[in-house]
Order: sequence, then structure tokens, then C-alpha cells
Amino acid sequence: MANDREVLREIWDGKLPVCFQLDQEEIMEIQQPDPFYVMVPRLSYFPLVIDKMKRHFLRYISQENADNEMWMDYNGQPLKWHYPIGFLYDLYCGNDPQTPWTLTVHFSKFPGNILLHCPNKDVVEAHYMSTVKEADVLKHRGQIMSAMQKKDHNQLWLGLQNDKFDQFWAINRRLMESHGDNDGFKHIPIRIYAEDGTCTQRLISPKNIDGSRKIIQQLITELYPEKPVKLRTHGITIPLDTPLQWLSEHLSYPDNFLHICVC
Amino acid sequence: MSDEKAENVSQSDSQVENTKENGDSSKTDKVKVDILLKATGNAPIMKKKKWAVDAEKPIGWIVEFVRKYLKLEADEKLFLYVNQTFAPSPDQIIKNLYDCFGTDGKLVLHYCKSQAWG
Repeated sequence: MANDREVLREIWDGKLPVCFQLDQEEIMEIQQPDPFYVMVPRLSYFPLVIDKMKRHFLRYISQENADNEMWMDYNGQPLKWHYPIGFLYDLYCGNDPQTPWTLTVHFSKFPGNILLHCPNKDVVEAHYMSTVKEADVLKHRGQIMSAMQKKDHNQLWLGLQNDKFDQFWAINRRLMESHGDNDGFKHIPIRIYAEDGTCTQRLISPKNIDGSRKIIQQLITELYPEKPVKLRTHGITIPLDTPLQWLSEHLSYPDNFLHICVC
Repeated sequence: MSDEKAENVSQSDSQVENTKENGDSSKTDKVKVDILLKATGNAPIMKKKKWAVDAEKPIGWIVEFVRKYLKLEADEKLFLYVNQTFAPSPDQIIKNLYDCFGTDGKLVLHYCKSQAWG
């Protein structure tokens, strides 16, 4: 069980200052738009926090682009909306932190070969729920999610969308319970990303063969036998003696996956 | 169904190989994995269900392949599910799903034309 409530709260409250700037090529007005500054939750997704920003920039762009799908890049790297914001920051800025995080906003030339389309927030919700279900298949053979009611699923999503810690954790705690008679999950939902964004997902047990708790050091040896690496999540380099089960219970994103960058 | 041969999805692929006959696919440049495509709900059945595909390809590529195979219209939808539970992200790599959810040496994917498992 996720018992370290202070840790859960600290992770939930993690925020990033972001500075949005409109791509110069998009600006049709003589007057330059001010950049748009906002604090965003690390655990959220960009489509959930950029309505105001979009309205701010819309009046400066060509009207023929106004109905186009908006997208953002950092240093020329298009940002995938279906990854949590904090993870994107760790991936692209983890080695060289900069705040505010300055991102460029576009209303044309959508890079459809890299980004998924996101016409509305329902698409974000569908992606989110599907990822939680996948995590539950790994942890409990999917039994917890399928036993829940639709309103419980909604509560998870609304808790995340509206930044309501108690609402979210009232349901999410059930997803963090151990599987069957074990003192842990069947497998740990974990995605590890290389610097170029390539994702590796493997079947990882929270225990070693002898039944002892697996720690990060052992995971690194298992996945990177040739060269030891450091792993980062939520802006933290994960201490090597951290047990995987504890990490999964406390430092997973709301989609119930650990999103970890190799550094 | 299980005695059906695995065939390459991409006919234009230079390495036309059959993973069933040529089990040691690691010797070739591209690692291939077997996927089994099963129709669900109102989706038409595919005559050939088992395919050997490049493990590094994203799921979106499979979706496009099935759409073409079934000759779906542009406005028709196609959903793909793993474990009859969740819809993987189109940019998820097949290898990741195969490693985590593959059984008996293959990854089973259900497809349908309407949302089946939410």
C-alpha cells in the first residue's frame, strides 16, 4: 500500500513554471504578443492546462490558422501531449534544468509523423484510462480496474483533471494494493526512456528470484549489464537502494506507470 | 488457426522469411515477432490472422495495415486492444507489448470498428 502520504502529496504538488512563446512565423499583428507564463502541475497533461494560453495567442495569428490544431516544441523538439508534463521536462531538460521552461507555440505545420492528434479532452481521457488499465493488467491481471464502477473511473480522471488529491487518491489507493496474497504487485508498470525518447517497457517483477525486494540498483544491472546508468523521475535521481515496489506505489504518475529517464 | 503459417506483413520487404520455418530470426537484421489478429464485434474477419512483423514498428503501423487489409473507408474507425483490456497508444513499439503481454510466442491483438473495452 502507498502509505507514505507526505511523499504522495509532495509528488502531487510538484509544479513547473512554463513560459509559452508564439512562433514568430505565426504572428500576423504589428504588436508582438507578450509571452504567457503559467505554473503547471508536473502530473498533468498539456491539453488540460493550456486553454487560457491558447486564447491569449489566438488574436495574434492568421485567422485561417485559428481552427488548426495547436502544438508546442522545446528547442525544435515537438512535445507529445500524451506524456505527463513533468516527464517531458525531465526528458528534455533533466540534465540542464531551466526555469521557466520556455516553449514555442504553433498553429500550423502540425508534425503528424511525431505527434498524435488531440482534437479534444475526451481523447486525453481515453488515453489516460487505457494506460491505467494497462498498468492494472501488469499489477493485478486487470482485476481491480474491471471490478470498479464507471463512476470510480470518472473520479480518477476528474481528480487528476481538477487537481483534487483526495478525490483522486480515494480511488487510486485501490490500484496500489498488493496482488492476491503477495506483498507487492505481480509486475511493476514501468517505462524507461532513452535521451532520444525511445521507450523500453519490460516485464519487471518487484522481487528477486530469492523472494527479496528488488531495488533500483538491481534493476539497472538487469537492464543495463554493460554500463551502469542513473535513472531520473520527478526531477529526482532515484537513490540506488530504493525498492521497486515502494517506488511504484509512491512515484508512479497518475496513469499508474513509472516514467523514468535514463541519464 | 494455430497451424497457420506466419507471413510477413510487408510483401515488399526484402527479407521475406517465415519465422515458423526460420526460427532463429535474431540472425537477420530485423527482429520479427508473431502477432495474431482477431476480429471482435462487427469487424470483418481477416483471412490470414497470423503475421510476422518488425518488432520495432509502432502499433499505429499495425492499425494502418489492418485498415488497408480490410479496405476500410477513411471515415470508418478501427480500435486495437491488448488482452481484451486496453488500447495501446499508436506510438507504442510492438516489441514493448510483445515482451510484456505476449503469450506462447505471439502477441494477440483484437480489433474492432467500435470501442469494445472502453
